[in-house]
Amino acid sequence: MPRAIRGVLIECDPSIKSIIMNINESEANAYVIEDLDDSHLVVQESKVQDLKRRLDDHLKETIPEIDRDSDSDRDVKQDKKGW
Amino acid sequence: IVDQIRLWQLDTERMATTNGFLFKEFDDYKEYISVVTFADEIGVLQWRNDRKGMFFITYAGLSQVKDFVKNKNKEKKAGK
Repeated sequence: MPRAIRGVLIECDPSIKSIIMNINESEANAYVIEDLDDSHLVVQESKVQDLKRRLDDHLKETIPEIDRDSDSDRDVKQDKKGW
Repeated sequence: IVDQIRLWQLDTERMATTNGFLFKEFDDYKEYISVVTFADEIGVLQWRNDRKGMFFITYAGLSQVKDFVKNKNKEKKAGK
């Protein structure tokens, strides 16, 4: 008899998947039920929102371009105020 | 249209998610193939790997796939 395991299938870039696997390892494998292939994995249903939040946090930390953009916007606004 | 929604999801959320069930640990390859083929035919299959003998179906597809597995087992027992 086969087993049916309840969970959420995630399809993503291999780069995103490796970040998810790192988060999973740092939390004693609490998120991932099964590592399927380069771009697919199954995670605990109750942990999906938590995982999305942690992934967003991680991406914010590692993509500094966004910060630089907002800085430049602020500079423009400040200049306008100065006039 | 489904593909477009999926691409849009990937772009905005960086990942596409599907609630459902992972099927694994089939007795043999023949049993696996018959069940995964059924799941594909009724349109609930989301992912498969024939080498690993595993597949993932949507949440809504469970009852039909489960019934199919049960019936297959009954047939197997009756055949013996």
